[in-house]
Amino acid sequence: MRTEPFQVRGRFLTAIAIRIDVESPDESFYAALDEKIKTAANLLIGAPVLLDLAAVPGLVSRDLLHNVIRAIRSKGLLLFGVQNANPQQKALAEELGLIQVLIGRDTPLQQPTRAAPPRRQRLVEPPENKIIRRHVRSGQMVVAERGDLTIVGSVSSGAEVVASGNIHIYGTLRGRAMAGATGDASARIFCSKLEAELLAISGLFKTSETIDSDLRGCNVQAFLEDETLCIERFV
Amino acid sequence: MTQLKDKDPLGKVIVITSGKGGVGKTTSAAAIAAALAKRGHKTVVIDFDVGLRNLDMIMGCERRVVFDFINVIQGEARLKQALIKDKRLDTLSILPTSQTRDKDALTQDGVEKVLNELKEQFDYIICDSPAGIERGAQLAMYFADEAVVVTNPEVSSVRDSDRVLGLLASKTKRAEDEGTEVKAQVLLTRHDQRRVDAGEMMTIDDVLEILAVPLLGVVPESPAVLRASNVGMPIVLDEPSEASRAYEAAVARLLGEEVDMSMSKEKKPGFFSRLFGAPA
Repeated sequence: MRTEPFQVRGRFLTAIAIRIDVESPDESFYAALDEKIKTAANLLIGAPVLLDLAAVPGLVSRDLLHNVIRAIRSKGLLLFGVQNANPQQKALAEELGLIQVLIGRDTPLQQPTRAAPPRRQRLVEPPENKIIRRHVRSGQMVVAERGDLTIVGSVSSGAEVVASGNIHIYGTLRGRAMAGATGDASARIFCSKLEAELLAISGLFKTSETIDSDLRGCNVQAFLEDETLCIERFV
Repeated sequence: MTQLKDKDPLGKVIVITSGKGGVGKTTSAAAIAAALAKRGHKTVVIDFDVGLRNLDMIMGCERRVVFDFINVIQGEARLKQALIKDKRLDTLSILPTSQTRDKDALTQDGVEKVLNELKEQFDYIICDSPAGIERGAQLAMYFADEAVVVTNPEVSSVRDSDRVLGLLASKTKRAEDEGTEVKAQVLLTRHDQRRVDAGEMMTIDDVLEILAVPLLGVVPESPAVLRASNVGMPIVLDEPSEASRAYEAAVARLLGEEVDMSMSKEKKPGFFSRLFGAPA
Protein backbone atom coordinates (compact mmCIF):
# COMPACT_ATOMS: atom_id res chain seq x y z
CA MET A 1 0.00 0.00 0.00
CA ARG A 2 1.37 3.36 -1.05
CA THR A 3 1.50 5.97 1.64
CA GLU A 4 1.24 9.64 0.83
CA PRO A 5 4.45 11.63 1.06
CA PHE A 6 2.78 14.04 3.49
CA GLN A 7 0.15 14.09 6.16
CA VAL A 8 -2.36 16.79 6.86
CA ARG A 9 -2.63 17.85 10.50
CA GLY A 10 -4.70 20.53 12.15
CA ARG A 11 -2.67 22.97 14.24
CA PHE A 12 -3.66 25.76 16.56
CA LEU A 13 -1.14 28.43 17.27
CA THR A 14 -1.05 31.43 19.47
CA ALA A 15 -0.06 34.66 17.77
CA ILE A 16 0.56 38.11 19.06
CA ALA A 17 -1.35 40.99 17.52
CA ILE A 18 0.13 44.46 17.41
CA ARG A 19 -2.66 46.96 17.09
CA ILE A 20 -1.59 50.14 15.36
CA ASP A 21 -3.31 53.16 16.86
CA VAL A 22 -1.80 55.98 14.76
CA GLU A 23 -2.74 56.49 11.14
CA SER A 24 0.77 57.54 10.11
CA PRO A 25 3.44 55.82 12.16
CA ASP A 26 6.34 58.19 12.74
CA GLU A 27 9.56 58.30 14.77
CA SER A 28 7.76 58.18 18.10
CA PHE A 29 5.92 55.02 16.94
CA TYR A 30 9.21 53.29 16.18
CA ALA A 31 10.76 54.48 19.44
CA ALA A 32 7.78 53.07 21.38
CA LEU A 33 8.09 49.83 19.44
CA ASP A 34 11.77 49.57 20.38
CA GLU A 35 10.91 50.21 24.01
CA LYS A 36 8.18 47.57 24.02
CA ILE A 37 10.42 44.95 22.44
CA LYS A 38 13.07 45.67 25.05
CA THR A 39 10.68 45.24 27.98
CA ALA A 40 8.85 42.23 26.61
CA ALA A 41 11.52 40.51 24.57
CA ASN A 42 10.57 37.07 25.93
CA LEU A 43 7.07 37.48 24.76
CA LEU A 44 7.67 39.04 21.38
CA ILE A 45 10.88 37.70 19.88
CA GLY A 46 10.29 34.56 17.89
CA ALA A 47 6.52 34.69 18.28
CA PRO A 48 4.22 34.77 15.26
CA VAL A 49 2.94 38.34 14.93
CA LEU A 50 -0.09 39.93 13.32
CA LEU A 51 -0.78 43.55 12.56
CA ASP A 52 -4.19 44.62 13.77
CA LEU A 53 -5.48 47.44 11.60
CA ALA A 54 -8.86 47.84 13.29
CA ALA A 55 -8.05 51.29 14.67
CA VAL A 56 -6.47 52.69 11.51
CA PRO A 57 -8.76 52.29 8.50
CA GLY A 58 -6.98 55.31 7.02
CA LEU A 59 -3.57 53.69 6.94
CA VAL A 60 -3.54 52.84 3.24
CA SER A 61 -0.18 54.25 2.18
CA ARG A 62 1.98 51.53 0.67
CA ASP A 63 5.19 53.21 1.85
CA LEU A 64 4.03 53.74 5.43
CA LEU A 65 2.85 50.17 5.79
CA HIS A 66 5.97 48.83 4.14
CA ASN A 67 8.12 50.79 6.62
CA VAL A 68 6.19 49.41 9.56
CA ILE A 69 6.58 45.86 8.30
CA ARG A 70 10.29 46.31 7.69
CA ALA A 71 10.82 47.86 11.10
CA ILE A 72 8.96 45.10 12.92
CA ARG A 73 10.75 42.34 11.04
CA SER A 74 14.14 43.95 11.60
CA LYS A 75 13.59 43.61 15.36
CA GLY A 76 13.34 39.84 15.06
CA LEU A 77 9.56 39.53 15.16
CA LEU A 78 7.96 37.01 12.82
CA LEU A 79 5.29 39.13 11.17
CA PHE A 80 3.05 37.03 8.95
CA GLY A 81 -0.32 38.64 8.56
CA VAL A 82 -2.90 41.31 9.15
CA GLN A 83 -6.29 41.27 10.77
CA ASN A 84 -9.25 43.63 10.67
CA ALA A 85 -8.01 45.03 7.35
CA ASN A 86 -10.40 46.87 5.06
CA PRO A 87 -10.42 45.80 1.38
CA GLN A 88 -7.83 48.39 0.41
CA GLN A 89 -5.52 47.38 3.25
CA LYS A 90 -6.07 43.73 2.46
CA ALA A 91 -4.93 44.20 -1.15
CA LEU A 92 -1.93 46.16 0.05
CA ALA A 93 -1.00 43.56 2.65
CA GLU A 94 -1.19 40.77 0.09
CA GLU A 95 1.10 42.75 -2.19
CA LEU A 96 3.57 43.07 0.68
CA GLY A 97 3.46 39.34 1.37
CA LEU A 98 1.17 39.32 4.43
CA ILE A 99 -1.88 37.09 4.73
CA GLN A 100 -5.28 38.20 5.91
CA VAL A 101 -6.22 36.39 9.13
CA LEU A 102 -9.86 36.11 10.07
CA ILE A 103 -10.32 35.77 13.78
CA GLY A 104 -13.69 34.99 15.24
CA ARG A 105 -12.99 36.22 18.72
CA ASP A 106 -10.23 38.58 19.57
CA THR A 107 -9.46 40.11 22.86
CA PRO A 108 -8.39 43.73 22.87
CA LEU A 109 -4.78 44.33 23.59
CA GLN A 110 -3.94 46.52 26.51
CA GLN A 111 -3.50 50.16 25.68
CA PRO A 112 0.12 50.68 24.65
CA THR A 113 0.52 53.35 27.35
CA ARG A 114 0.30 50.68 30.03
CA ALA A 115 3.66 48.98 30.24
CA ALA A 116 3.07 45.24 30.41
CA PRO A 117 4.95 43.49 33.20
CA PRO A 118 7.62 41.48 31.46
CA ARG A 119 7.31 38.37 33.59
CA ARG A 120 4.83 35.54 33.08
CA GLN A 121 3.27 37.39 30.20
CA ARG A 122 2.23 34.13 28.58
CA LEU A 123 -0.33 33.51 31.32
CA VAL A 124 -2.44 36.58 30.77
CA GLU A 125 -5.62 34.64 30.08
CA PRO A 126 -8.11 35.35 32.87
CA PRO A 127 -8.61 32.55 35.41
CA GLU A 128 -11.66 30.38 35.08
CA ASN A 129 -12.99 29.96 38.59
CA LYS A 130 -15.69 27.38 39.18
CA ILE A 131 -18.56 27.34 41.64
CA ILE A 132 -20.40 24.08 42.26
CA ARG A 133 -23.69 24.52 44.07
CA ARG A 134 -24.35 20.91 45.01
CA HIS A 135 -22.74 18.03 46.83
CA VAL A 136 -19.87 16.30 45.11
CA ARG A 137 -20.74 12.66 45.60
CA SER A 138 -18.63 9.53 45.82
CA GLY A 139 -17.10 8.71 42.45
CA GLN A 140 -17.52 12.21 41.09
CA MET A 141 -14.60 14.47 40.24
CA VAL A 142 -14.68 18.22 39.79
CA VAL A 143 -11.73 20.02 38.27
CA ALA A 144 -11.04 23.74 37.94
CA GLU A 145 -8.16 23.66 35.49
CA ARG A 146 -7.38 27.34 35.63
CA GLY A 147 -8.48 28.98 38.84
CA ASP A 148 -10.24 28.50 42.14
CA LEU A 149 -12.89 25.92 42.92
CA THR A 150 -15.72 26.73 45.32
CA ILE A 151 -18.10 24.01 46.47
CA VAL A 152 -21.29 25.07 48.20
CA GLY A 153 -22.02 21.65 49.65
CA SER A 154 -20.09 18.67 50.89
CA VAL A 155 -17.49 16.52 49.18
CA SER A 156 -18.23 12.87 49.87
CA SER A 157 -15.82 10.15 50.72
CA GLY A 158 -14.58 8.75 47.41
CA ALA A 159 -15.04 12.06 45.57
CA GLU A 160 -12.24 14.24 44.25
CA VAL A 161 -11.99 18.00 43.85
CA VAL A 162 -9.02 19.47 42.02
CA ALA A 163 -8.04 23.06 41.26
CA SER A 164 -5.02 24.85 39.92
CA GLY A 165 -5.83 27.58 42.45
CA ASN A 166 -7.50 27.52 45.88
CA ILE A 167 -10.30 25.20 46.94
CA HIS A 168 -13.13 26.45 49.15
CA ILE A 169 -15.63 23.99 50.56
CA TYR A 170 -18.69 25.30 52.38
CA GLY A 171 -19.56 21.91 53.78
CA THR A 172 -17.82 18.78 54.99
CA LEU A 173 -14.78 17.58 53.10
CA ARG A 174 -14.76 13.79 53.33
CA GLY A 175 -13.09 13.01 50.02
CA ARG A 176 -9.90 14.23 48.42
CA ALA A 177 -8.97 17.82 47.70
CA MET A 178 -6.00 18.85 45.59
CA ALA A 179 -5.21 22.53 45.29
CA GLY A 180 -2.39 24.11 43.31
CA ALA A 181 -2.57 21.10 41.03
CA THR A 182 -0.42 22.74 38.36
CA GLY A 183 2.29 23.61 40.83
CA ASP A 184 1.08 26.75 42.62
CA ALA A 185 2.60 26.41 46.09
CA SER A 186 0.66 29.43 47.37
CA ALA A 187 -2.70 27.70 46.83
CA ARG A 188 -4.81 26.88 49.88
CA ILE A 189 -7.66 24.58 50.81
CA PHE A 190 -10.44 25.89 53.03
CA CYS A 191 -13.27 23.79 54.39
CA SER A 192 -15.92 24.23 57.04
CA LYS A 193 -15.53 20.70 58.35
CA LEU A 194 -12.51 18.51 57.85
CA GLU A 195 -13.01 14.76 57.50
CA ALA A 196 -10.77 14.42 54.45
CA GLU A 197 -9.24 11.29 53.01
CA LEU A 198 -6.50 13.35 51.44
CA LEU A 199 -5.37 16.96 51.23
CA ALA A 200 -2.77 17.98 48.67
CA ILE A 201 -1.23 21.28 47.68
CA SER A 202 1.16 21.46 44.76
CA GLY A 203 1.84 17.74 45.04
CA LEU A 204 2.55 17.66 48.79
CA PHE A 205 -0.12 15.71 50.59
CA LYS A 206 -1.46 14.39 53.86
CA THR A 207 -3.82 11.46 54.19
CA SER A 208 -6.44 10.87 56.86
CA GLU A 209 -3.85 8.85 58.76
CA THR A 210 -1.36 11.70 58.94
CA ILE A 211 -3.84 14.49 59.59
CA ASP A 212 -3.86 15.45 63.26
CA SER A 213 -6.97 13.90 64.77
CA ASP A 214 -7.64 17.05 66.81
CA LEU A 215 -8.42 18.82 63.55
CA ARG A 216 -11.12 16.36 62.56
CA GLY A 217 -14.51 17.98 62.32
CA CYS A 218 -13.04 21.49 62.52
CA ASN A 219 -13.13 24.35 60.07
CA VAL A 220 -9.62 24.62 58.75
CA GLN A 221 -7.33 25.92 56.08
CA ALA A 222 -4.42 24.01 54.62
CA PHE A 223 -1.37 25.68 53.09
CA LEU A 224 2.30 25.10 52.37
CA GLU A 225 5.00 26.54 54.58
CA ASP A 226 8.64 25.59 54.11
CA GLU A 227 7.66 22.72 51.85
CA THR A 228 5.40 21.31 54.56
CA LEU A 229 1.67 20.94 54.39
CA CYS A 230 0.20 22.79 57.38
CA ILE A 231 -3.38 22.57 58.57
CA GLU A 232 -4.74 25.26 60.87
CA ARG A 233 -8.05 25.86 62.55
CA PHE A 234 -9.76 29.16 62.17
CA VAL A 235 -10.05 30.80 65.55
CA MET B 1 -60.64 0.21 39.52
CA THR B 2 -63.75 1.73 38.08
CA GLN B 3 -62.99 5.12 39.54
CA LEU B 4 -59.55 5.00 37.97
CA LYS B 5 -61.04 4.84 34.51
CA ASP B 6 -62.33 8.36 34.98
CA LYS B 7 -58.88 9.86 34.99
CA ASP B 8 -55.66 9.15 33.17
CA PRO B 9 -53.20 7.06 35.11
CA LEU B 10 -50.47 9.05 36.85
CA GLY B 11 -47.62 7.19 35.15
CA LYS B 12 -44.94 7.99 37.69
CA VAL B 13 -41.71 6.02 37.45
CA ILE B 14 -39.94 5.32 40.76
CA VAL B 15 -36.63 3.48 40.85
CA ILE B 16 -35.60 1.48 43.91
CA THR B 17 -31.82 1.47 43.88
CA SER B 18 -28.82 1.29 46.20
CA GLY B 19 -25.50 0.52 44.57
CA LYS B 20 -24.62 -2.14 47.08
CA GLY B 21 -26.18 -5.57 46.89
CA GLY B 22 -28.07 -7.32 49.68
CA VAL B 23 -29.37 -4.18 51.35
CA GLY B 24 -33.03 -4.94 50.67
CA LYS B 25 -33.82 -3.40 47.29
CA THR B 26 -36.06 -6.16 46.03
CA THR B 27 -37.81 -6.57 49.38
CA SER B 28 -38.37 -2.82 49.46
CA ALA B 29 -39.54 -2.67 45.84
CA ALA B 30 -42.07 -5.44 46.54
CA ALA B 31 -43.22 -3.82 49.79
CA ILE B 32 -43.55 -0.34 48.30
CA ALA B 33 -45.38 -1.60 45.22
CA ALA B 34 -47.76 -3.67 47.34
CA ALA B 35 -48.40 -0.80 49.75
CA LEU B 36 -49.18 1.55 46.86
CA ALA B 37 -51.51 -1.04 45.32
CA LYS B 38 -53.19 -1.61 48.67
CA ARG B 39 -54.06 2.08 48.71
CA GLY B 40 -55.83 1.62 45.40
CA HIS B 41 -53.16 2.94 43.05
CA LYS B 42 -52.63 0.91 39.92
CA THR B 43 -49.06 -0.24 40.38
CA VAL B 44 -46.60 -2.36 38.46
CA VAL B 45 -43.22 -3.50 39.71
CA ILE B 46 -40.50 -4.32 37.16
CA ASP B 47 -37.49 -6.52 37.77
CA PHE B 48 -34.41 -4.97 36.12
CA ASP B 49 -32.04 -7.55 37.55
CA VAL B 50 -31.73 -9.57 34.36
CA GLY B 51 -30.16 -12.96 34.92
CA LEU B 52 -30.73 -12.96 38.68
CA ARG B 53 -34.47 -12.69 38.83
CA ASN B 54 -35.72 -12.56 42.39
CA LEU B 55 -38.65 -10.22 42.39
CA ASP B 56 -41.13 -12.85 41.17
CA MET B 57 -40.10 -15.08 44.08
CA ILE B 58 -40.54 -12.33 46.65
CA MET B 59 -43.91 -11.59 45.09
CA GLY B 60 -44.78 -15.28 45.09
CA CYS B 61 -45.51 -15.55 41.40
CA GLU B 62 -42.44 -17.36 40.09
CA ARG B 63 -44.48 -20.29 38.82
CA ARG B 64 -46.68 -18.02 36.73
CA VAL B 65 -43.87 -16.52 34.65
CA VAL B 66 -44.27 -17.34 30.96
CA PHE B 67 -43.03 -14.28 29.12
CA ASP B 68 -40.81 -11.62 30.64
CA PHE B 69 -39.52 -8.04 30.36
CA ILE B 70 -36.76 -9.10 27.93
CA ASN B 71 -39.23 -10.90 25.67
CA VAL B 72 -41.24 -7.70 25.48
CA ILE B 73 -38.17 -5.54 24.77
CA GLN B 74 -37.09 -7.90 22.00
CA GLY B 75 -40.56 -8.02 20.50
CA GLU B 76 -41.09 -11.71 21.22
CA ALA B 77 -44.14 -11.07 23.39
CA ARG B 78 -46.65 -8.33 23.98
CA LEU B 79 -46.59 -6.43 27.26
CA LYS B 80 -50.02 -7.81 28.17
CA GLN B 81 -48.71 -11.36 27.90
CA ALA B 82 -45.76 -10.69 30.19
CA LEU B 83 -47.57 -8.74 32.94
CA ILE B 84 -48.59 -10.95 35.84
CA LYS B 85 -51.56 -9.84 37.87
CA ASP B 86 -51.13 -10.29 41.59
CA LYS B 87 -53.65 -12.71 43.06
CA ARG B 88 -54.01 -10.76 46.32
CA LEU B 89 -54.39 -7.24 44.96
CA ASP B 90 -56.05 -6.58 41.63
CA THR B 91 -54.32 -3.19 41.40
CA LEU B 92 -50.88 -4.81 41.48
CA SER B 93 -48.96 -6.27 38.53
CA ILE B 94 -45.49 -7.71 38.18
CA LEU B 95 -43.25 -7.58 35.14
CA PRO B 96 -40.67 -10.29 35.78
CA THR B 97 -37.32 -10.50 34.10
CA SER B 98 -35.42 -13.28 32.41
CA GLN B 99 -33.21 -15.69 34.31
CA THR B 100 -31.38 -16.88 31.19
CA ARG B 101 -30.31 -13.62 29.53
CA ASP B 102 -27.96 -10.97 30.83
CA LYS B 103 -28.11 -7.21 31.21
CA ASP B 104 -26.94 -6.59 27.64
CA ALA B 105 -30.41 -7.66 26.56
CA LEU B 106 -31.71 -4.37 27.97
CA THR B 107 -31.67 -1.51 25.51
CA GLN B 108 -32.42 2.11 26.28
CA ASP B 109 -34.99 2.37 23.49
CA GLY B 110 -36.59 -0.90 24.51
CA VAL B 111 -36.86 0.14 28.18
CA GLU B 112 -38.30 3.52 27.21
CA LYS B 113 -40.91 1.92 24.96
CA VAL B 114 -42.05 -0.51 27.66
CA LEU B 115 -42.15 2.24 30.31
CA ASN B 116 -44.19 4.51 28.03
CA GLU B 117 -46.67 1.73 27.45
CA LEU B 118 -46.89 1.05 31.20
CA LYS B 119 -47.44 4.75 31.90
CA GLU B 120 -50.68 4.56 29.96
CA GLN B 121 -52.02 1.88 32.30
CA PHE B 122 -50.46 2.42 35.71
CA ASP B 123 -50.22 5.16 38.32
CA TYR B 124 -46.91 3.93 39.72
CA ILE B 125 -44.19 2.04 37.93
CA ILE B 126 -41.68 0.69 40.44
CA CYS B 127 -38.32 -0.27 38.93
CA ASP B 128 -36.36 -2.76 41.02
CA SER B 129 -32.75 -1.99 40.12
CA PRO B 130 -29.95 -4.54 40.14
CA ALA B 131 -27.00 -3.91 42.45
CA GLY B 132 -23.99 -2.11 41.08
CA ILE B 133 -23.71 0.94 38.91
CA GLU B 134 -23.40 -0.77 35.55
CA ARG B 135 -25.75 -0.89 32.60
CA GLY B 136 -28.66 -2.62 34.34
CA ALA B 137 -28.69 -0.17 37.24
CA GLN B 138 -28.23 2.83 34.97
CA LEU B 139 -31.12 1.78 32.73
CA ALA B 140 -33.32 1.16 35.76
CA MET B 141 -32.79 4.74 36.93
CA TYR B 142 -32.53 6.47 33.54
CA PHE B 143 -36.23 7.17 33.03
CA ALA B 144 -37.12 7.64 36.70
CA ASP B 145 -39.17 10.55 38.03
CA GLU B 146 -38.26 9.73 41.61
CA ALA B 147 -35.78 7.50 43.36
CA VAL B 148 -35.75 5.57 46.60
CA VAL B 149 -32.19 4.83 47.65
CA VAL B 150 -32.12 1.83 49.95
CA THR B 151 -29.31 2.01 52.47
CA ASN B 152 -28.14 0.01 55.45
CA PRO B 153 -26.61 1.93 58.34
CA GLU B 154 -23.04 0.89 57.61
CA VAL B 155 -20.23 2.74 55.85
CA SER B 156 -19.87 0.75 52.64
CA SER B 157 -23.59 0.82 51.96
CA VAL B 158 -23.76 4.55 52.66
CA ARG B 159 -20.84 5.26 50.38
CA ASP B 160 -22.37 3.21 47.54
CA SER B 161 -25.66 5.04 48.03
CA ASP B 162 -23.79 8.31 47.78
CA ARG B 163 -22.30 7.15 44.48
CA VAL B 164 -25.77 6.27 43.23
CA LEU B 165 -27.10 9.68 44.28
CA GLY B 166 -24.37 11.21 42.13
CA LEU B 167 -25.51 9.13 39.16
CA LEU B 168 -29.14 10.06 39.79
CA ALA B 169 -28.11 13.70 39.60
CA SER B 170 -26.28 13.29 36.29
CA LYS B 171 -27.05 10.08 34.40
CA THR B 172 -30.80 10.23 34.07
CA LYS B 173 -33.07 11.49 31.33
CA ARG B 174 -34.28 14.27 33.59
CA ALA B 175 -30.73 15.42 34.28
CA GLU B 176 -29.63 15.14 30.67
CA ASP B 177 -32.68 16.65 28.96
CA GLU B 178 -34.04 19.12 31.48
CA GLY B 179 -31.10 19.67 33.79
CA THR B 180 -33.33 18.81 36.74
CA GLU B 181 -32.49 16.24 39.35
CA VAL B 182 -34.50 13.13 40.03
CA LYS B 183 -36.08 13.56 43.45
CA ALA B 184 -34.22 11.11 45.65
CA GLN B 185 -35.03 9.95 49.17
CA VAL B 186 -33.26 7.48 51.37
CA LEU B 187 -34.91 4.43 52.88
CA LEU B 188 -32.86 3.08 55.75
CA THR B 189 -33.32 -0.67 56.09
CA ARG B 190 -32.05 -3.31 58.51
CA HIS B 191 -31.83 -0.67 61.21
CA ASP B 192 -31.09 -2.13 64.63
CA GLN B 193 -31.32 0.33 67.51
CA ARG B 194 -29.48 -1.96 69.90
CA ARG B 195 -26.50 -2.18 67.58
CA VAL B 196 -26.60 1.59 67.08
CA ASP B 197 -26.54 2.03 70.84
CA ALA B 198 -23.65 -0.39 71.09
CA GLY B 199 -21.77 1.72 68.57
CA GLU B 200 -21.73 -1.07 65.99
CA MET B 201 -23.99 0.66 63.54
CA MET B 202 -24.21 4.18 62.14
CA THR B 203 -26.89 6.42 63.54
CA ILE B 204 -29.66 7.73 61.34
CA ASP B 205 -28.25 11.23 61.73
CA ASP B 206 -24.80 10.08 60.57
CA VAL B 207 -26.27 8.53 57.47
CA LEU B 208 -28.41 11.54 56.65
CA GLU B 209 -25.55 13.93 57.18
CA ILE B 210 -23.47 12.09 54.61
CA LEU B 211 -26.19 11.49 52.06
CA ALA B 212 -27.88 14.88 52.47
CA VAL B 213 -31.22 13.80 51.02
CA PRO B 214 -34.59 13.49 52.77
CA LEU B 215 -35.35 10.40 54.81
CA LEU B 216 -38.25 8.37 53.46
CA GLY B 217 -38.34 5.91 56.31
CA VAL B 218 -36.53 3.60 58.67
CA VAL B 219 -37.23 -0.11 58.45
CA PRO B 220 -36.03 -2.08 61.45
CA GLU B 221 -34.16 -5.35 61.13
CA SER B 222 -36.92 -7.90 61.61
CA PRO B 223 -37.39 -11.61 61.25
CA ALA B 224 -40.75 -10.80 59.68
CA VAL B 225 -38.95 -9.57 56.54
CA LEU B 226 -37.15 -12.86 56.02
CA ARG B 227 -40.26 -14.90 56.77
CA ALA B 228 -42.36 -12.92 54.33
CA SER B 229 -39.85 -13.22 51.52
CA ASN B 230 -39.51 -16.96 52.10
CA VAL B 231 -43.21 -17.46 51.58
CA GLY B 232 -43.38 -15.10 48.62
CA MET B 233 -45.44 -12.48 50.37
CA PRO B 234 -44.67 -8.76 50.18
CA ILE B 235 -44.15 -7.75 53.80
CA VAL B 236 -47.02 -5.26 53.85
CA LEU B 237 -49.47 -8.00 52.86
CA ASP B 238 -48.22 -10.32 55.57
CA GLU B 239 -49.36 -10.07 59.17
CA PRO B 240 -48.60 -6.70 60.76
CA SER B 241 -45.08 -6.21 62.01
CA GLU B 242 -42.83 -3.29 62.79
CA ALA B 243 -41.26 -3.67 59.38
CA SER B 244 -44.59 -3.65 57.57
CA ARG B 245 -45.68 -0.54 59.49
CA ALA B 246 -42.39 1.12 58.55
CA TYR B 247 -42.99 0.41 54.87
CA GLU B 248 -46.58 1.65 55.08
CA ALA B 249 -45.31 4.88 56.64
CA ALA B 250 -42.60 5.22 53.99
CA VAL B 251 -45.17 4.85 51.23
CA ALA B 252 -47.40 7.44 52.88
CA ARG B 253 -44.45 9.84 52.83
CA LEU B 254 -43.70 8.89 49.23
CA LEU B 255 -47.23 10.04 48.42
CA GLY B 256 -46.57 13.34 50.13
CA GLU B 257 -48.35 12.65 53.41
CA GLU B 258 -46.80 13.95 56.58
CA VAL B 259 -46.09 11.03 58.84
CA ASP B 260 -44.19 11.50 62.04
CA MET B 261 -40.84 9.74 61.75
CA SER B 262 -40.95 8.63 65.38
CA MET B 263 -43.86 6.34 64.54
CA SER B 264 -41.42 3.84 63.12
CA LYS B 265 -39.28 4.09 66.21
CA GLU B 266 -41.76 4.32 69.08
CA LYS B 267 -41.91 0.58 69.62
CA LYS B 268 -38.21 0.58 70.31
CA PRO B 269 -37.11 -0.07 73.88
CA GLY B 270 -34.64 2.80 73.66
CA PHE B 271 -36.90 5.81 73.93
CA PHE B 272 -34.09 7.61 75.71
CA SER B 273 -31.58 6.63 73.07
CA ARG B 274 -33.51 8.83 70.71
CA LEU B 275 -32.81 11.77 72.98
CA PHE B 276 -29.16 10.85 73.19
CA GLY B 277 -28.95 10.20 69.47
CA ALA B 278 -30.33 13.60 68.57
CA PRO B 279 -27.74 16.24 67.73
CA ALA B 280 -27.37 19.03 70.26
